[in-house]
Amino acid sequence: MNRRSLLAIPAIAALSSLRGHRAFAADRIRVGMLKPNIVTVIYWIATKTGAFSRNGLDVVEYPFPSGQTAAGIEQLLRNGLDFYLGASGEVAHANSRYLEAGKKLPIALVEGGIASGTFFVLRNDHKGKSLDELRSMKLRVGLSNPSSFHLILFRAFLRTRNMTTKDLNWDFLTLGGPEMLPALVSHQLDGFMHDALTTTLALQANAGFEFMSSGNGDMGQEAKLVPGTGVCGNLAFMKANPDVTRRFTQSLRDASATYQSAPKADMVSIMGEWSRQDPAVIEAMYPRFDPRVGLTEAAAQAWWNVLGQAMLARGEISQRMTVSDVFDLDYVQQKS
Amino acid sequence: MNTIDRIGVAPAENLAAPYSRTQQDFARHVKLRNRRTRLRRFIRGMAGILSILLAWQIMSQILDLDLLLPPPLTVLRNVIVTLTVSNSQWLYGPNIYVHLSHSFLRAMTGFVLAAVVAIPLGLVLGRITTLREFMMPAIQAVYPIPGIAWIPLAILWFGLGDTAVVFVVFATVFFPLLFNAEAGARLISPTVLDAGRCFGARGFSFFFRIVLPATVPYIITGLRISLGGAWRMIVAGEMLASQDGIGYLLMESRFQFRAVDLMTAMILVALVGYATEKLIVGTIEKRTIEKWEVQPY
Repeated sequence: MNRRSLLAIPAIAALSSLRGHRAFAADRIRVGMLKPNIVTVIYWIATKTGAFSRNGLDVVEYPFPSGQTAAGIEQLLRNGLDFYLGASGEVAHANSRYLEAGKKLPIALVEGGIASGTFFVLRNDHKGKSLDELRSMKLRVGLSNPSSFHLILFRAFLRTRNMTTKDLNWDFLTLGGPEMLPALVSHQLDGFMHDALTTTLALQANAGFEFMSSGNGDMGQEAKLVPGTGVCGNLAFMKANPDVTRRFTQSLRDASATYQSAPKADMVSIMGEWSRQDPAVIEAMYPRFDPRVGLTEAAAQAWWNVLGQAMLARGEISQRMTVSDVFDLDYVQQKS
Repeated sequence: MNTIDRIGVAPAENLAAPYSRTQQDFARHVKLRNRRTRLRRFIRGMAGILSILLAWQIMSQILDLDLLLPPPLTVLRNVIVTLTVSNSQWLYGPNIYVHLSHSFLRAMTGFVLAAVVAIPLGLVLGRITTLREFMMPAIQAVYPIPGIAWIPLAILWFGLGDTAVVFVVFATVFFPLLFNAEAGARLISPTVLDAGRCFGARGFSFFFRIVLPATVPYIITGLRISLGGAWRMIVAGEMLASQDGIGYLLMESRFQFRAVDLMTAMILVALVGYATEKLIVGTIEKRTIEKWEVQPY
């Protein structure tokens, strides 16, 4: 063997190992999510429990601050992301614009939470008052953004009573989730509509009480079925990578299964880490929050019947829109 | 034929009539020249604007960007629809006039408050060296804080609502007003000041007859810069702490993914901002600089 052949051996070995490594490399996906935000905690459970890696996925994380839901959707529309956790109404808004322009729809909801998780908290001095008593009062109600999921759900509830937000003498003010409790305590707000975590913090601080909860059926029985956490994806990416998409939704379902079977202490720790909250707060929140996903056709239909119709009635989305313009159920793995 | 006849100059006794004719001709010439200049400027300005609009229309259509960058004709149509829409037909709460008037009130309140505080303070700092040496370092240290950074503190101090937005506008426009007034007062020519003193100007009369007129060009510049700043900041403030106004409208249309509404709101802000500038600063300018014929020193 000449000197040149001897030198070639390590090079060939290195190249073959590289080829072998590439064959087993995980598929890289770009995932955006609201962070820190308890609504998207299923992503962190999947990461911490190894669900993504078990499904052969290498996730590149793109966090967006709470309240900036539209920013994530904008990235998804610009092909800057493959998947995004934390939006649902915005998917309908964005797709509606494309539908109105006669263009191909760009995004779709592919997975969703199993609980709706909307809470309407009021300051303690409003305790005992009914909605009819409150409607004429000058209330200041906090929301994370003008197209907040919680506001749309509340509007849907008002529709069942032949009312709109214009019938209420209330001011809806936009502010971030973390600012809602200080604003409530300092009497800058009379209440807020937000998630289980902000609600728990307000209850623990004895600053307010749970006036309405979608999970309890206060906003209608069908509202209980509406998926709270929206997981959406870029349709072009999903069409080109159906297997990756299935593995992504499967990872979130695996994480949901782990949540159910794992010791509560472990989950409290993961959820506390993600939401940057004390474990005691997470413990207190546990009964009113379920992070699991599991979109079904029935849940998608409930979403459309409740949220979709509320958006249609207000003119937010095109009259030509249907449930299939918002959801892509091809990747749903537990069809009802 | 004498020399005068040869060169065509009128005899001395007939000079008055041709002289007055020459003066009229000259005035007519100046008027015509000014009109031509205005027309030229208008044509060039319009050509510039039309070129941009044309490029925008072509780019939007060729690259199929109408959802991200709606073509100008679509935006123009939407501006007209927005200006004629009633409350009940519209997605964004009250009609556009309510949004614009609320924004205008907030912007003007912050702007006027800042002017009332900053201009006198700037004039005093500009004329009193000891006070300037005490105060300017502190003021210059606060100045780089961007207006938007005041929003969380404003909400904490004044709560959610108009006061917080007005404060943010105030914090933004205060500094250009103060620095311009201070520079104007500091840089007055000593000759002008001495001349004023020689004519017996003292105290208030010295301030109102000498210092203020000499500083006016600087103050006007400060007002012009600040008014633009007030409109920029009102949009940012209303995005966070309001439920109406043009900033709120921009935020809501962003969440609805309606780029055409976003651009409409931006155009309306630009129009109202321009009109405000012409109306307020233009009027002050006419009543001061042009009336007193003051020049910066």
